[in-house]
Amino acid sequence: MNRWNLDQLKARLQQRKEVKGWIISQEHTHRRERYFLGESKNLAIDQDRDVRSESITARIFVKLPTVGRQGEISKKLFLRLPLDPQLDAAIQSALQTDHQAWELPVKLEAAVPQLSTTDPRMAEDLESVVQKLTQRISLAVNKARETTFNSAELFLSTHDRELHLSNGLVHRTSQSRIYLETAYSYARKSETSPIADSDEYLKTMWSVSLDDLPLEEFFDEASDRARHSLDVLRPVSGNFAVIVDSDVLLNLFHGQINQLSAVNAYNQLPFVKPGDALIPEAQGDLLTISLDPSLSFGADTLAISDQGVLQEPLLLVKENQVVSTATEKQYADYLKKEVTTSRGNILVAPGKLSHKELTEQAPAVLEVLQFSGLFSDSNTGTFSSEIRLAKLYDNKKKTVTYIKGGSLSGSIRENFKNLRLSNQLVKRAHFENSEAMGGSNSGTGYHGPQYALLSDVSIVS
Amino acid sequence: MSSIQLTATPPGQRATLDPELQALRKPLAELVHTLEAQEGWYGSVFLERRASTNFSANLKQTNVSDRVSQGVVLRIYDGYTLFEQATDDLELESLKQTALKLVQRVRGNKPGSGVQFRPYHPPSWEERRAQKLDPEITSQIPANVNALTPVHFGIRFQKTPKVSASETLDRLKHLVLKCLELAPKHGLKSEDVTFAMARQGFSQEESIFIDREVNISQSLYRIALTVITMSGAERTVSRIGGLGGLEAVEFSDADIGKLLEDLKSLKTAERLNPGKYRVLLSPVLTGVLAHEAFGHSQEGDTCARGRSRAWELHKIEEKVGNQHATILNNPAIFQNGTEDFAAWGSYFFDEEGWFAQEQVLLDEGTLKSPMTNLTSAIRLGVPRTANGKRESWASGVYTRQTNTYFSPGHNTYDELLAQIDDGFIATEAAGGMEDPKGMGIQVGIQFLKEVKNGKLTGRTFKGPAGGDIQMTGYVPDVLKSILGKSKIESTSERPDRARHPFNDAGGCGKYHKEFVYAGCGGTYVLLDQVILG
Repeated sequence: MNRWNLDQLKARLQQRKEVKGWIISQEHTHRRERYFLGESKNLAIDQDRDVRSESITARIFVKLPTVGRQGEISKKLFLRLPLDPQLDAAIQSALQTDHQAWELPVKLEAAVPQLSTTDPRMAEDLESVVQKLTQRISLAVNKARETTFNSAELFLSTHDRELHLSNGLVHRTSQSRIYLETAYSYARKSETSPIADSDEYLKTMWSVSLDDLPLEEFFDEASDRARHSLDVLRPVSGNFAVIVDSDVLLNLFHGQINQLSAVNAYNQLPFVKPGDALIPEAQGDLLTISLDPSLSFGADTLAISDQGVLQEPLLLVKENQVVSTATEKQYADYLKKEVTTSRGNILVAPGKLSHKELTEQAPAVLEVLQFSGLFSDSNTGTFSSEIRLAKLYDNKKKTVTYIKGGSLSGSIRENFKNLRLSNQLVKRAHFENSEAMGGSNSGTGYHGPQYALLSDVSIVS
Repeated sequence: MSSIQLTATPPGQRATLDPELQALRKPLAELVHTLEAQEGWYGSVFLERRASTNFSANLKQTNVSDRVSQGVVLRIYDGYTLFEQATDDLELESLKQTALKLVQRVRGNKPGSGVQFRPYHPPSWEERRAQKLDPEITSQIPANVNALTPVHFGIRFQKTPKVSASETLDRLKHLVLKCLELAPKHGLKSEDVTFAMARQGFSQEESIFIDREVNISQSLYRIALTVITMSGAERTVSRIGGLGGLEAVEFSDADIGKLLEDLKSLKTAERLNPGKYRVLLSPVLTGVLAHEAFGHSQEGDTCARGRSRAWELHKIEEKVGNQHATILNNPAIFQNGTEDFAAWGSYFFDEEGWFAQEQVLLDEGTLKSPMTNLTSAIRLGVPRTANGKRESWASGVYTRQTNTYFSPGHNTYDELLAQIDDGFIATEAAGGMEDPKGMGIQVGIQFLKEVKNGKLTGRTFKGPAGGDIQMTGYVPDVLKSILGKSKIESTSERPDRARHPFNDAGGCGKYHKEFVYAGCGGTYVLLDQVILG
């Protein structure tokens, strides 16, 4: 069967008088995945998967008779189906929609920086990387431990993407992604039940580079935390100083940054404008936050946005004062503002305290090692979750106890007022992998303090 | 919404298989022979196409997006490992090459030392038909079916969901404007509604499963409507939908009125003093409770990985709930409550070709056999169930839930409400999380409405920090605290006519990824002394 190509697609769009512009993206993906489990103290492979896909998505803008309005559609096109009927259907649907008109930028002529977005070993030979990581997992699993290895998952993928805009821009990028998880459990004889008492610890992580994947430490930490999972007490209800880690900060700041975007300003969603305080009446470490699209092997490292705008580091918040609004070209036109960087890894300036010093900042400090499921609301800035595992530092009694259960609820506006940040920086990544279900399939990156101390957080048990 | 003729097979049309996919059945079946290249190997082919269109309208714009996800998964189970090669290249010559490549990959694999060989033999049509299947399935199987017979299962629908973009967008724009128009009637000014949006998604989901014993296909129409209203940072959301036609997304002025009344309540909501309370959970929240309590921990792959306490407790038959604690999983809900469309998490067969059946997971506090996919059933030595699901053809299979819910009780809603002297009713869900080994639970609640002496007081409460409220606890404690459950038709005194409780349109992640559709519903459940904070 004849397949059409991108040049033919662009030529056809050029010929259509209704079409005003387009953004086309083509992506080739290769995934290698293994699901491991423990079987009679051996490492067994339950599933072994290899996936290859190619997708072309076109965002097509059409002219409408009303001045100042345009229509648009985002459509996935199939190479194995005839092109014209697909375009006819897309354009007809786009003509039924109604948007404020905007223009793509003029073609970028500046030199595009070369960024580190793909691990070269994965780009060269994904199969070889799968085999080598499997050997390392096998060694980690065979290490003598008091705990039991239950399972692990290893997902590797490479994504090669081409972006074609109607302003003439063609931009090629690639990205590697790694997902690793493991679960260990610990059991001991029960005093009340014929079966042993047991609990587990599940640890997950994403990264872009193999060098950011501390595999052996990852398995050690999961095992160590599982080992402590039975020596737990329920928390006492009350308000506590609470330490959260960088994965939690990534989640919370990712939501909060929406409030610094032109998208929110235009749609009358919660918006904090330049000049305002990010955290009202903040007195602790004052937050300095940037978008950094150039971070080496960051989850959201990119040179050019989908709308063809060069992405450069952008300071959003300086010492708690909002200084800029992340504004993509579409919303710059709508709001008559300057275009800025709109994507990038979240960069947070470090504090001055070590982890140990953070644990000593209040008579009792609760360090959450893992939430069950942290749900945060990007509109209200509130968050809540059950506590899966935590450490309570009682600085009066000089004791450290493990905690499980109860629920924690907080608010960025209230519980970040006396924020203290750790002095050690870490890099974190997260990918939404649910494009087939309507998700964005984009990454969220973080480079900032490993820990933060929040104050006066409500805990109930 | 249209009511069903509960005593008769409802009328309507059935979704058919796209002719292009129909033409692929024979060549795909031939690939099974290539895959079963070695004695003891089990080969199968799964093709999936999901074509979805999403329409949305808000106060400033209207949008359309069209997505198609289509691919083939070639599988070999060699008695040790399930190998998959998935591709979206449907050219027949490419597929043959892909099959040969997979055979080579399996041949090159050496099972780990000490790993047990567990062969698999797929059931014949005769064995499949001997199972207790829903009439919606059996009625579509030809009498003289054999391994080569292409058998198709189509979802029934009343009002075609395939309507034009302009018609759908007009309807959504009308709903958005209605939110503003009706605001004053519900105690808000029109300008108090700072954001309103209506979104409708329709997805035509077609799949084919072929192994040496069957060649089956299904077409499902999935339709959902989401309406959101906001006032500043406060937000109310209603999401309805099911498998069928437009009859599954009818949204009335009264439905908009409820969103606006809740929005008004949230603007003046108080903060909850965290503690232990008596609370009446609405069906959608009892669905979350059932799903997180003994849904996830009854997923066979979690059991096979040694990560489920339920598997251990099932073996010693320990009670983990009281007489009200009966939880079912059922992908064969083709009449959702009293409505004439199928429940959101339903299908005719799962993505490994196993027919949908009702399954009791927890029977009056006693754990039963878990849900399974192919490899977990083999590893655990328990029956297969139709719970092998994947996020898409590009993702791997796990044991996943479909529609999970508590069995109905005997009380009316009013009778349960009357049992609350000082407590709350919770109606809107805000996520949840499982803890299959530690048996903790987290059920997110958007807000609580106060009840005193069996009556709503008009006061609304948000969480201690102004956000969602989390209900937490130890699962057996929570399930032993159930005081009563409502009937399916909870506002009626007469016996239930519906066979299954209504399941709302929900979604589910496996721990923190692999999102799939899941029905979320059941009946009202009254709980005592649960932790809310």
